[in-house]
Amino acid sequence: MSTATQARPPRREAGRNPGLLRRIYRHRHDYAYIAPALVVMMLVIAYPIYDTIYLSFFNTPPNLALEDKIFIGTGNYTRVLASDSFHEATWNTLVWTIFSTLFAFVLGFAAAIALNDAFRGRGLLRGILLVPYVISAVAASYVWRWLYHSDFGVIGALSVQLGITDIPINFLDNTDRVMAALIAVNVWKEFPFAMIMMLAGLQTVPDQLLRAARVDGASAWNRFWHVTLPHVRHVALVTILLLLVANLNSFTIPWIMTGGGPAGATEIWITHIYQLAFGRIRFGLASAYSVILFVVMMTMGWFYVRALTHGDDKRPG
Amino acid sequence: MTTRDAITAPISAAPIGRRTVLAGAAAGAATGLALPAAAQAPSTGIDATRWSPDYVRSIVGTLDVDTAADCAKVVPLNHTGKVTYWYVGPNEASPRLDHDIDAQFFAAFSLTYPNITIEKQSFTYNDLLDKIRTAALGKSAPMVARLTLLWAPELAAKGFLEELRPEDVGYPTSEFWPGAMKSVMWKGKTYGVPTNNQTMALIWNAELYERAGFDPDKPPATWDDLVMYSRVIREKTGKFGYGMVARRNAGNTPYRFMPQCWAYGGGALDEAEARPTYGAVQLGNAGTKAALQASIDMYIRDKSVPVSALTNTQAENVDPFIAGNLSMMISHPSEYAVMLDRVQRLSGEDRKTADAVIAKVRYGLIPQGPARRAVVFGGWNAHIFKPSVVAGKHDMSAARAFVAFMTGPEWSTKLAWTASNPGNTRGFRTSWMKQRIEQIKFLDVTTSMLTSGIPFPVIPESAEIMNIVVPDMMQNALTGRMSAAAAADNAAKQVKDLLSI
Repeated sequence: MSTATQARPPRREAGRNPGLLRRIYRHRHDYAYIAPALVVMMLVIAYPIYDTIYLSFFNTPPNLALEDKIFIGTGNYTRVLASDSFHEATWNTLVWTIFSTLFAFVLGFAAAIALNDAFRGRGLLRGILLVPYVISAVAASYVWRWLYHSDFGVIGALSVQLGITDIPINFLDNTDRVMAALIAVNVWKEFPFAMIMMLAGLQTVPDQLLRAARVDGASAWNRFWHVTLPHVRHVALVTILLLLVANLNSFTIPWIMTGGGPAGATEIWITHIYQLAFGRIRFGLASAYSVILFVVMMTMGWFYVRALTHGDDKRPG
Repeated sequence: MTTRDAITAPISAAPIGRRTVLAGAAAGAATGLALPAAAQAPSTGIDATRWSPDYVRSIVGTLDVDTAADCAKVVPLNHTGKVTYWYVGPNEASPRLDHDIDAQFFAAFSLTYPNITIEKQSFTYNDLLDKIRTAALGKSAPMVARLTLLWAPELAAKGFLEELRPEDVGYPTSEFWPGAMKSVMWKGKTYGVPTNNQTMALIWNAELYERAGFDPDKPPATWDDLVMYSRVIREKTGKFGYGMVARRNAGNTPYRFMPQCWAYGGGALDEAEARPTYGAVQLGNAGTKAALQASIDMYIRDKSVPVSALTNTQAENVDPFIAGNLSMMISHPSEYAVMLDRVQRLSGEDRKTADAVIAKVRYGLIPQGPARRAVVFGGWNAHIFKPSVVAGKHDMSAARAFVAFMTGPEWSTKLAWTASNPGNTRGFRTSWMKQRIEQIKFLDVTTSMLTSGIPFPVIPESAEIMNIVVPDMMQNALTGRMSAAAAADNAAKQVKDLLSI
């Protein structure tokens, strides 16, 4: 609303961002305090990113020293995008990431809801449910590898003893089942993270609102849908984004349990990049892969920052 | 000064010493070490053309070694310095004896060169190459590393390795097996000194052979027989026949598949030929396809091998074997010591079963195929890295002293105690070799396989071909994703692209 009698607004309108340089100048003392950390970050983050991008334009065969690398322009990118292995790894990565994130979040949220109410033994149960999260991923992978073992695994033996199957179920050496088996392990490892995050979110839901809704006759579902969920929406979004990023970057579980096999059935981007770089010594090709993944991750990172700040960066500085 | 007295006693007192087998069991020790028939130099006292069990028995214990005196000719014993050293040391799966000898080696070096400090790091076989590559690129490589012969060409081609001839550490090249020397050569230059050379053999459970109706002391003569043995054992005993290994990115896989592949007339390149040129890809030939088909027959048709073969390494075969659930596998003589160690940790019924299996363990030649009998000619070499890729100041004298100590007759014999043979052939004349052939059960069989030894191609791409392309080919075939012919052709195409052939 604007009227002729209204006082003249200040020169810089509220809601309009000042220039970046002016903002930096205004906060120069703050920036001075974090300058050492920024320098370190430039060295350990910015330089490797630059070097990876640079290397992605070169061919680096194993019979040549890295200094003798051959410039091929965007050849590595063309080769990556045209290769069958890229499409296979991309499909596997999508399946791995989406299902791991979905199930970890749903399970974690359900556990958080269950643990949000007070009951005897809640603390103990919370502690027990956190165990998968605190176990080392390497140790967990080896344990699960033996649980799943196609010949002598505990799960297979139990399924036979209980009469569910005639022979042990082949989890890890079967191209149709192996991805699901690995996702189950990943969900087991990750759901406590979602549980902690969502539990923290649930505890911010105002109790008086829930009580008021109950007084108004809202069912449990309606209270959840119309009161609880809107309050934890941002936490849920951040949790999902963090899970997505973590799953896109997964390495330990697939690498230790199957090495990307059998026959590439669990080869995801990160294991494929590792294989290219250190198994096949194609640093240039692996760098091109990494740059593509970096772009995807940065896009997700942008959404993450947006969700985290709720548009705070739009406010005047 | 000699380290002999300090070392002999602990080895004799070690567990394997107490289980010393009859000397007769070692009667054939080092049989057939007549590798490429090039005779060793007269100064070594070794004549490879006369190589036979009797000849070996006649030369063991005929040489007194003074390692310190040998090393002093290369680097003065009062030299002060530091060496950084990476290697594949003994791990949880290694027999106790390997740990003891490893500790004795470093203790003995400290006695010989009290002013040289060793900073050592031990890695697993599957980790070391990646670590070395990365470290060298980051100019943080160790000064010295002991690497399997498969890896040297790549590292030399990349310019990471210092030129290093046996003469640089005081020993004539003629003291080392020609095949082993070939593995440290790249474009006519020498980049390392062999430390030890070995081959594997077929190990079987005689009890399961008997129950399946086979002669318990006679291994299958051919790979076709092995496929049949595996099937019959599975049918008649319910146990797995053969411990196939097809895990990706694991060295165990090519060490077990390539002997089968070569036996059928296949190969990666032409490495099985008398004069390999590495210019022709053999992965798509009829021999490779036949070998792959034999593997498919065992895995898919007969279901006579562990289902977990696609994710197993050899380490996962040992427990089923000592539990009596697996009948045959391919491995080193040290596997027997590993099994003995594991049995000690068991109790109750498990212990009884394992003891019964151990009593029935047999070693024999790996089967032959239509083309030949073959085994991977394995081994390890000591290398010195260039100062430009090493972290900190490079002490070349200390590095040479360390390599001289490691590759002399004494320690090239002792460090190969349970699993291998001395790279320095004068080691065969030492008293330690005599002690070994009396102590190590089945050493005679594995050394007999040396005559059938074929080295992996000596090219920089060898590690990729053997650790990735070959296992991928097997997995594509064994999962039914491709036929044997298609998987082999696909692998051949990959190698052709790789080598731009």
